[in-house]
Amino acid sequence: MKSSLWKWNTRTVVTIGIGGALYGATSWIGIPIAPDTQLRPAIALLAIFGALFGPIVGFIAGFIGHVINDLITSGTVWWGWALGSGITAAFMGLIYLAKDFNAQEGQMKKNHVAWFVVYGIVGIFVSLAFSGYFDILVMGEPNDKIAIQVISAGLANLAVFLILGLPAVLAYVKRNRNNSNLSVDR
Amino acid sequence: MSQASGLYVAGDSFFHRMDGAVKLILLLIWTVVTFLFMDLRVFAVMLAVGVSMLLLARVPFRKMALLFWALTIFTVVNSVFILLITPRFGTTLTESDTPLIPLGYDTVNTETLFYVLTLSFKYLTLLPITLLFIFTTHPSRFAASLHKLGVSYKLAYAVSIAFRYIPDLTKEFRTILNALQMRGLGISRGDGTLLQRARNLTQAVVPLLQSSLQHIESVSDAMDLRGFGTKPQRTWYMGKVMTEGDKLIALLCVILLAVGIWLKRSLFPGFWYPFG
Repeated sequence: MKSSLWKWNTRTVVTIGIGGALYGATSWIGIPIAPDTQLRPAIALLAIFGALFGPIVGFIAGFIGHVINDLITSGTVWWGWALGSGITAAFMGLIYLAKDFNAQEGQMKKNHVAWFVVYGIVGIFVSLAFSGYFDILVMGEPNDKIAIQVISAGLANLAVFLILGLPAVLAYVKRNRNNSNLSVDR
Repeated sequence: MSQASGLYVAGDSFFHRMDGAVKLILLLIWTVVTFLFMDLRVFAVMLAVGVSMLLLARVPFRKMALLFWALTIFTVVNSVFILLITPRFGTTLTESDTPLIPLGYDTVNTETLFYVLTLSFKYLTLLPITLLFIFTTHPSRFAASLHKLGVSYKLAYAVSIAFRYIPDLTKEFRTILNALQMRGLGISRGDGTLLQRARNLTQAVVPLLQSSLQHIESVSDAMDLRGFGTKPQRTWYMGKVMTEGDKLIALLCVILLAVGIWLKRSLFPGFWYPFG
C-alpha cells in the first residue's frame, strides 16, 4: 500500500529521519571536479528515497541531510545548496505520484522509467539553477564562476543519477516484484 | 542515548545554558544579516563579536580545528578560482580598474582582490556562530526547541532521529565497505582504477539501503508500540522553560535584524571599496 502524501504517520517521521541521516552520513564521499564542487555518489540516495517514499519525504530528508552534512563537515550551512538537494529529491519523487507506480510492490512500467529519468534530469538542473542563483543573489558570487560550478555539478549529479540511482531503484523494484509474483505450486 | 551527542561538547557556559530555540533564532538572524551585506567593515565587526562569543562558550579549540580548517581551505580555493576565472569581476562592482597581477590571458585587478577578501570574510563571519550552535546545543534539546518555535513535533522528531542515527549509519556503512574490501572490492586508493573503485562503491548502495529500510521498520514499530503520534501535542524530556535572560537575547536578535536592515538601507547599501 502506498500511503497518502500528506498524512504523517510514525513511519513517515522515521523515514525522513533515517533518510536524512543516511544522506548526511554519506555526503562526505566525493571526487572534486570543479572549484569547491564534488561528484557526490550520495545524490543517488535522493533518487531512491524520492521514488520509494514520495516528493515530500524526499525534499525534507534531502534538506535535513544536507544541513547535517554541512554542519559536521564544513562548519557553515550552505542554505542554497541544501534547499537544492531537497528540490532534486522532490522532483525525483514525482514518479511516486504516478497512478500504478509502486516501488514497494514491484510495480514499475517502461514509461515510468522514462518519466523517472525525465523528472530526475529536470530536477537536477532546476535545483542547481536555484542554488547558483541563490549564491549570486545572496552571497554575491561572480556569475561566471557559479556557471562553471553549476554546470559541472549538474553533469556530475546526472551521471550519479543515471549510473547509481536509477539502477538501484530498478533493482529494488525488481526484487520486490519477485516477492509478489509467487504462485502456488500445484 | 550517549551516541546522540554528535559534536556536542558538554559545558556550563552562558551559551550552554541558553535556550536552544533562542540559539537557533540567533543563528538564523546572524545568517540573514550576513547575507544582506557585501561590506568588509560590517563583517570585521561581526567576526570579532562572533569570535568573542565563541571564546565565552569555552569550546576546546582542538574540537573546532577541523571545521575551521575545512572552511578556510574552502574559502581559499574559492578565492583562487574566482581570481582565475573572473580576474576583473571587481570592476563590475566599483566601475574602476587598477591592474595588479598579470595572468597572461587577463589581469587580476585590485578591485577583484579586495572583493575576494570581502567574500572570504563573509563566509568566515558565518563560522563562529555555527560552531557555537553545534558545539553547545544537545541534539535532543534542539528537537525540543524546534517544537517550541512552532515546528510540528513530528518534523522536530524527524530531525532528532536524523541526528541520532548518523553515528549508527556511519558505522553500518563502514562495516559494509570493510566487508566489500575483504572480498577485494575496496574503494580506497590502490584498490584499482578510479572507475573500478566507483564500481565497487555501487556495490555498497543496495546493502546500505536494505539495512536502512530495516532500521526504518524496527524504529517505527518501536515508536508505534510506545504510542508515538496518537496525541496532537507532546512534551519533551529534554525540554526547558525559557528564562527571562533567554527572552532578552531573543529580543536582542530581533533588534540586530532591524539594525541590519536599517544599516543596509542607509549606510552600507553595496560593495565597499576604500581605494576607488
